[in-house]
Amino acid sequence: MRDLSQLYPFEKLLEEANNELVREGVAMGLHPIGSVCSLAPEPLLNLPGCFSVRLRAPRTGSIEIGTYYMSSLLCECCRAILERAVEGGYQFLDGIIAPDACAQMNRCVENIEHLNCIENSFVSYFDAPMKSDDTALRHYVRQTQEHVLKPLHEKLGVDISDESIRTAVAQHNQICHLLQELSAYRKEDNPRITGYEFAVLCTATYCCPKALLIDRLAAVAEELKTREPDQKPAFRVKVVVAGSEIDDPGLIQLMEETGIRVVADRFCFGFFPEREPIALHDEEDALTQVCRHYLNIGKCPRYMNAEKVAERQEYVRGLVQEYHADGVIYQQMKFCDYWGYERAYASKNMREKYGVPTLSIDRPYVTGSSGQLRTRFQAFVESLEIKKLR
Amino acid sequence: MGKHMGSEKLGSFYTGKKARRRREWRGVRDTMYDYAQWLRIWGVLLRFAAKPNNVRAFFRYRWMLNYLVVPDFFDRHTEGMRGAQLRITHTALSIVVIDMCKSMTRMFKADPNIGNDEKLRKRMVLFDENMMSEIMNGFPNLIWVSVEVPAVYTCAMMVQDGVVHYTDAAQTYGVPSDVCPMPLAELGVALEDDYPRIGACAVHCNTTCDGSLMGNSIEGQYFGIPTYELAVPIRHTYESVQPYAVEEIKNCIAFIEKHTGETFDWNAFFKSMELFNAETQNMLDWFEISRTKYPQMIGTNLALYRYCVYQATGGRYEVFRKVEEKLNRYIRRGYEQKELVCREIRHRAITWGVQSAYYTAFTVWLQNCWGVAALVDMLSLCSTRMVDTHDKEQALKDLAYLYGKMIMRSRSNGGYEVGVEDLWRFCESFDVDVVIMYCHMGCKAMSGYHGLFEEEARKHGIHLIWVNHNLMKPEDGSRKDMRMEVNRYMRTVFREEPLDPSLEDFDDDRNW
Repeated sequence: MRDLSQLYPFEKLLEEANNELVREGVAMGLHPIGSVCSLAPEPLLNLPGCFSVRLRAPRTGSIEIGTYYMSSLLCECCRAILERAVEGGYQFLDGIIAPDACAQMNRCVENIEHLNCIENSFVSYFDAPMKSDDTALRHYVRQTQEHVLKPLHEKLGVDISDESIRTAVAQHNQICHLLQELSAYRKEDNPRITGYEFAVLCTATYCCPKALLIDRLAAVAEELKTREPDQKPAFRVKVVVAGSEIDDPGLIQLMEETGIRVVADRFCFGFFPEREPIALHDEEDALTQVCRHYLNIGKCPRYMNAEKVAERQEYVRGLVQEYHADGVIYQQMKFCDYWGYERAYASKNMREKYGVPTLSIDRPYVTGSSGQLRTRFQAFVESLEIKKLR
Repeated sequence: MGKHMGSEKLGSFYTGKKARRRREWRGVRDTMYDYAQWLRIWGVLLRFAAKPNNVRAFFRYRWMLNYLVVPDFFDRHTEGMRGAQLRITHTALSIVVIDMCKSMTRMFKADPNIGNDEKLRKRMVLFDENMMSEIMNGFPNLIWVSVEVPAVYTCAMMVQDGVVHYTDAAQTYGVPSDVCPMPLAELGVALEDDYPRIGACAVHCNTTCDGSLMGNSIEGQYFGIPTYELAVPIRHTYESVQPYAVEEIKNCIAFIEKHTGETFDWNAFFKSMELFNAETQNMLDWFEISRTKYPQMIGTNLALYRYCVYQATGGRYEVFRKVEEKLNRYIRRGYEQKELVCREIRHRAITWGVQSAYYTAFTVWLQNCWGVAALVDMLSLCSTRMVDTHDKEQALKDLAYLYGKMIMRSRSNGGYEVGVEDLWRFCESFDVDVVIMYCHMGCKAMSGYHGLFEEEARKHGIHLIWVNHNLMKPEDGSRKDMRMEVNRYMRTVFREEPLDPSLEDFDDDRNW
């Protein structure tokens, strides 16, 4: 398959948090806002005048300072982000909006705040709901008003009107529609886009000003329309990847090097469910509708109500069917409590209740070219092939 | 051997096996008292075991075997004590045991595997461990029950490796070993089908941590009864979360009413909360005494007793009023007679972080070996706000506020202000020079402040002694390892000699 000509610039965007487009956005007078969790509704951080940058720590090496502050028992992603903050890697931010969702990420942000890692910026925490009912919705709206919109307006002068939110949602939807177009190719028998390529494009949409990405993504979509896949598929099995956040497409690449083709992604920084467009109507204020959308689509194991617990497993199973996958890889960042339990429970149900072959792994934040993981993936590919032969 | 504190070489009692060499001699009067109390506990246990349902429970549930060593639990927690201290310990802890026995007796009576009393079962509402029971104060005809407390929490306190079988079961299921052992063990009990399946309905809660929440989600499937998930705000100090907290409490009450046919009884609720408030006031008075040179209600006594009244009994049982009157008498006597809790108080300390369940007697060792008096612990420092007992709306607000500040979550959730900053305020208020900083390996919420604790302690001139443990998995950090960390600090930083050298290094890895 011919290389995607637009891929390299996207890969470059992922090499650092303060990438070319972020710098361009800042030069245009936009305020970059750090985000650490999908429970902070993205359009609210992308109101006219500001843009969100989901924090990552690309090219992480040592995380010793992060480990000193947070101990060796916490998630490496959180430690790596703190390390990057201490190194000054997020100095460009004007603020961080952090839902108190996962204790470890919350500690990471609190360390960033109390160590004064980012000068001239603010940190705002909010209480994110753990259920998806009407009571939770009212709470969500109140919290985002108080701890997201208010600080954006008071500290940065951002317009937080209903109209402004609708503008941000429209832009958000543009990105979602473009990615939807690309994602649809993954349903093909012999997809014309690899899981790695898609992961690069999708991850970039979380880390750059959306307005500056739209044309670039549109160009990729145009190029893909005529892209011809290889006659002989360059993969042996198709899988859905689910689990805790993957902000480094290198992990997807590692999977695909072993004969896997990742056709759907249900993890933070992935397409599902966050890149589902937000449908707004005029009968209700935009903020409530945005919050409701995020409550409805949320598939984080943090949601504790029984309906959500069942729903998120059904959702992954639905992806397996819709994208004609041969199996699922449930992966979890080491030390993640939420995914530690969810991975165990969901992978068991996938196998026993739904009959979907499942690989269940935990992994470090920096996977590089991990031989251990490669071996696990290879073994999984072989087991799926044997199943097909039978 | 004598009646004075420190007259026995306490470390010499340990044999490296389960049982100790002999009982401690505390002088005629205190030995007689201690022995009488020890027999009394045996009496409580024998009365418990005399009921056929309870005997059957010993054969049905593996974790029940842990309760055979309750008398040893008392010996551990009264080590080296004399006078008022000895009496405070026996009074505070025996009521907890008696309450547990009653609760377990009811549980087994209702248990379909044992007594199978369906009528009783339908009157029970199942609550999570670590979750306050005060909502149930408005349902006097219903019974609050937490099956996880006897199956997991107190088991690990009785026998140090009492729940390891269950943590292994959950790990075999696929849950990683780095999560907190408490929800891990709780899930393990469910996977092994070792809970009494009782209750008309259940209330699950996001109590302490992410792991606890997740464990509950899976356990919820096991019980298979209608379940309400009570979402208590994480940022519980924010004013903006209080309306949600109140709504959740109201929804929870409505859920219980729906599934039990009972109506919330405000009079019963107010009456119980009056006792609860009185218990809070007593605790504040004990704190005042702890701020003096002669603290009395401290360490494990305060911790275990407070967990019981704050979380589990919550003002519902009048017997606690009498117990507190008795405790107050002993405390006042100890204070007035200037009795020390150990031979010499060299350091005044606060324990912060989560204490190890398999070594609750650690603070007793601290005072006997090094003269460190652990005046108060993080888990006891929850809400001291009185709950309104007249105005329904205000009472609901107070209750919601109280639920935000359940034990453990009041510090592990809520952010830096309650997790770190408050510590220095308490250090000043209790005039302490040492903080015993428990580093519970599975507790991500507190471990995330590690470096900030270090830096802030230096700024405040407080000695921070880190003590590693893994709550219910002694194989990850034994009792001896915990003591070693204190020994090392005492010798190298303070350059002190132990009060009782025989306690500095002894083998209790195989003890209960």
